[in-house]
Amino acid sequence: MKGEDRAVIRSLPSGVPGLDTVLGGGLPEYSFNLIAGGPGSGKTTLAHQIMFTNATVERPALYFTVLGEPTIKMLRYQRQFSFFDPDLAGSAIQFINLSAEVMEQDLGEVLQRIVSEIERAKPGIVVVDSFRSIGGQHGTSERGATSELDQFVQRLALHLTTWEITSFLLGEYTEEEQRNPVFTVADGILWLTQATDRNSVVRKLQVVKTRGRAHMPGLHTFRITDAGLQIYPRIPEQTQKRQLPKHERLSTGVPGIDEMIGGGVIAGDAVMLTGPAGSGKSTVATQFIVAGLANGETGVIAVFEEYPEEYLARANTRNPDVGKMIDAGKLEVIYLRPLDLSVDEALQAILEAVGRLGAKRVVIDSLSGFEVALAPTFREDFRESLYRLVGTLTATGVTVFMTAEVSEAFSEARFTTEKVSFITDEIIIQRYVEIEGGLRRVMAVIKMRGSDHSHEFRTYEVTAKGVVVGGPLTEYDGIITGVPTLRTKPAKAKRGK
Amino acid sequence: MNTADRGKDTPSGKQPAAREIARRLISSRRSERKSGDSAARATAAACDTLYRELSRWVGPDGCHALFTRALTETRTDYPALAQIQLRARSEPYIDGVAETIMAHGDPATAGALESMLVRLVELLGRLIGDDMAMRLIERSLTSSERGDRPSDDRREEA
Repeated sequence: MKGEDRAVIRSLPSGVPGLDTVLGGGLPEYSFNLIAGGPGSGKTTLAHQIMFTNATVERPALYFTVLGEPTIKMLRYQRQFSFFDPDLAGSAIQFINLSAEVMEQDLGEVLQRIVSEIERAKPGIVVVDSFRSIGGQHGTSERGATSELDQFVQRLALHLTTWEITSFLLGEYTEEEQRNPVFTVADGILWLTQATDRNSVVRKLQVVKTRGRAHMPGLHTFRITDAGLQIYPRIPEQTQKRQLPKHERLSTGVPGIDEMIGGGVIAGDAVMLTGPAGSGKSTVATQFIVAGLANGETGVIAVFEEYPEEYLARANTRNPDVGKMIDAGKLEVIYLRPLDLSVDEALQAILEAVGRLGAKRVVIDSLSGFEVALAPTFREDFRESLYRLVGTLTATGVTVFMTAEVSEAFSEARFTTEKVSFITDEIIIQRYVEIEGGLRRVMAVIKMRGSDHSHEFRTYEVTAKGVVVGGPLTEYDGIITGVPTLRTKPAKAKRGK
Repeated sequence: MNTADRGKDTPSGKQPAAREIARRLISSRRSERKSGDSAARATAAACDTLYRELSRWVGPDGCHALFTRALTETRTDYPALAQIQLRARSEPYIDGVAETIMAHGDPATAGALESMLVRLVELLGRLIGDDMAMRLIERSLTSSERGDRPSDDRREEA
């Protein structure tokens, strides 16, 4: 058979942000799908989103309700979602209750009712909620009843396919129940779960099966907001090569740092600035963004530790143009401080902002706040997730500037948070040292892939204009301990030995 | 309360729209029935139609629950409804119409049943939103007028 003679399986948009990506392009048209999950996992909302996206008066959606949540209550709650268009109810979307047939008649009568409604309405989408109720009512452990359910599922699938209907059976199934005939017959299986870990609840979606296309494997986190479900596809393994050749240097906005790192940050790199509280990390990060804006490069700042208004108020005192740049669409500050955040969700938000602005520079301020904002379950694999997040961002060509707070003991210097240093190309550390009874700030470059850099500790001040780097502490030894001692012999004489 | 009093028992500002659609339902049923049929019988037939149509999408039990509350609340203002019974999953759904007409007269029975319909439309509107309630009832009207249903001429004559 020639390629052009093959039946083309078109994709329907799900209407759920992120889901089409996970499904490998959308919902296969005329597929027979199962949406499984526990109570409150979002099955009904997902089905409604799909219906409201695809139903038309000419090819309506039929929503068969069975037993369980009363239809009126379901409508009352579903219409709170922004996707729910009441104008479509009753015409493009028709609700049909099967409770009488399910309770009082056999499966043959239930099937007959479904088929007669399909013949009448000629729908493009059919949903049965909850299909489990049909199985539970008629599919007992007795072999005869199970066989009847098998036949029912087979016949239903045949009818739905013959009428060129994309269908969704919703049910509260557990993983142990996957021998249920509907799992075998289904072309696609979407599994929704919500797991509780300490005080956090994390929702996840898994595409267990899709016939005819490659879906994105793994568990994908999702949220249910006023707009319905939003899926955050699991960050794919990094396969792309970075887009930008590593030649261009970007100013950090702090001349002294640019000098220390050999002329500026390498475009497309991931840079990490670590230091204790109050050392000026956010100030440098803002200067990095402002330097880009001055050069016509748009930017995104993802903040985790404080509200954007507070962050911007502080940034504006040093750089009055920051607010104007936001108004001009050159800069976006995104606030990512919800409870139960996932790394995938954060990446999605940052990527969307980068896309909106065509951003060249991204600041993540800070990794410490980011980790705290994550649901406990995601903190466990923070390192791996962050690795993929940074890889995905830099693959788009943006330069990523991250800050991280490190706790500091005066007897030792921690160069970075040990968990995440490997994900960066460039690392700059800040720390306090005690000199003559006072605290002084110093910084050093400890990692710079593919470029020479300064190996000195340099003093710096956080001024009204931002961070200003001073000279090296050449007359002191033991700076790394935090308690340097004044060298008794001149430095030059020491080097000359 | 006689038919002239209809519309005076307005529990909410939305009642005119609810009453209007209730009257359209009744009028629709009346036009389909034989001439000379009483107003009360046409109104009861409209209730039967709405019960059947709404049952299609909320289920007979859900629909019966709506009618039961509407009847209970309307009885407070309309003693004529005392003998009216709702027969879930039966045709006709509204029972006791003949007895009520005999006891209270056709206009009072029709007015009371119409008010029950209005209550039901309002209740549905409060639960799922007036816009969607009206739309779904409109659809019931349309499918009723189109004849997408079995005959409901099973109501016994008084």
